[in-house]
Amino acid sequence: MFDYLANPTRFMRIADLLLWPLTVLAGGLLLAGLYVGLIASPPDYQQGDTVRIMYVHVPAAWLATLGYVALGLCGLFYVVWRHPLADIALRAMAPAGAMFAFLTLVTGAFWGKPMWGAWWVWDARLTSMLILFFFYLGVIALANGFDQPERGSRPAALLALVGLVNVPIVKFSVDWWNTLHQPASLLRSGGVAIDQAMLLPLLLMLAGMHLYFAVIVILRMKALLAERRITSLQLRQATRGSR
Amino acid sequence: MTPFALQLRRDLRLGWAGRGDMLVVLGFFLIIVTLFPLALGPDPAQLRIIAVPVIWVAAMLASLAGFTRIFAEDVRCGWVDQVALSPMSLPVYALAKALGHWLLSALPILAVTPLMALLLNLGSGQLAAMMLALALGTAALTLLGVIGAALSEGARGGGGLMAILVLPPAMPVLIFGALASTPEAGRLITPHLMLLGAVLAVLLAIAPFIAAAALAESESESGG
Repeated sequence: MFDYLANPTRFMRIADLLLWPLTVLAGGLLLAGLYVGLIASPPDYQQGDTVRIMYVHVPAAWLATLGYVALGLCGLFYVVWRHPLADIALRAMAPAGAMFAFLTLVTGAFWGKPMWGAWWVWDARLTSMLILFFFYLGVIALANGFDQPERGSRPAALLALVGLVNVPIVKFSVDWWNTLHQPASLLRSGGVAIDQAMLLPLLLMLAGMHLYFAVIVILRMKALLAERRITSLQLRQATRGSR
Repeated sequence: MTPFALQLRRDLRLGWAGRGDMLVVLGFFLIIVTLFPLALGPDPAQLRIIAVPVIWVAAMLASLAGFTRIFAEDVRCGWVDQVALSPMSLPVYALAKALGHWLLSALPILAVTPLMALLLNLGSGQLAAMMLALALGTAALTLLGVIGAALSEGARGGGGLMAILVLPPAMPVLIFGALASTPEAGRLITPHLMLLGAVLAVLLAIAPFIAAAALAESESESGG
């Protein structure tokens, strides 16, 4: 399958085919999730309405970490097999993942202020997420840090791989250290620890945001492929003109 | 002599010949430390509290200033290409570069640290623990710097890029290092120091290979 997708034209065709259904589905799920989350679900008995921040904060945090795993896998594919699309995917995902990491930190601050009384605490979960955000910035900076863009591909892929070390730290920080941040409620041994009425909007938002991430990545991959094509066409034209 | 020793000897000789660079890193370290009492005020009690963090951060920033140069000259003059053709493997080369760089830039920092501790009114009881932690910490940092230097070799805007590459993974080093520098009374070997040693051991195992993978790339693309 990965060989099959290595042809950019073929990838473009499949991406075009997927793009609209995914966009519609993502939009629908997000609208439904926002409606149920903001209007048709009960406030928390302790936190009141601020609990609704969860419906953005948790999906964003999942995407920031899972997006980094995907980034690392792209790095692996690029370093080991030199898969041409892995580089494009890595460049497409990095800013999207960075945006979600940023969103996690910002919504977390908005949630922390009323609940903990502080915008920010130097808690293990918060700090490791901040470091994850820095890793995203590093990958972006390195991928675009060279005069010939292709030279940044392998360093960025290697850095993405190195940064994978941080992902389990983010995930398990709430178990390993006694943090102010609450431990996991969804993916935990002993089952989901969240009420049905709040689980539904959370799952809707999770699904919607994941599809939204996929849509951004496909759009960015299409744009990056088009950009490469423009560069090569310009080079060809310039060569022709000089004769 | 083994290739490793030859490479190390070459680096030390070149480093000694250009010892002005070494002094610049050292000067940078001294100046960062000096800035804090100026900003905070000269109260000895307050200075004692910030002494360990300030010395650690200053050592990190000063080390950072030297990292961009690790491979620059070797790539420019074709030495890396020669190494790639020679029987010496690139990871061994990278490890030799790391050791050479640590001896040339971290060791001077360590040498003046007691003086800095004096300036910041740090008790002599804590000095030994901090020196030990700093020795391990700067070694780990140098290995991260070798990775960063190899990855960003040939990139634009070296300094800022290096900071964004090296500092995030260096945060555990800072955390454990600073904790190991402020042990409970009378203890030198703390769990934090052991964790710092573990970080160093992992980096020793992986850094030469990551740096070699990145160097192989920049070498093949600039040559080809």
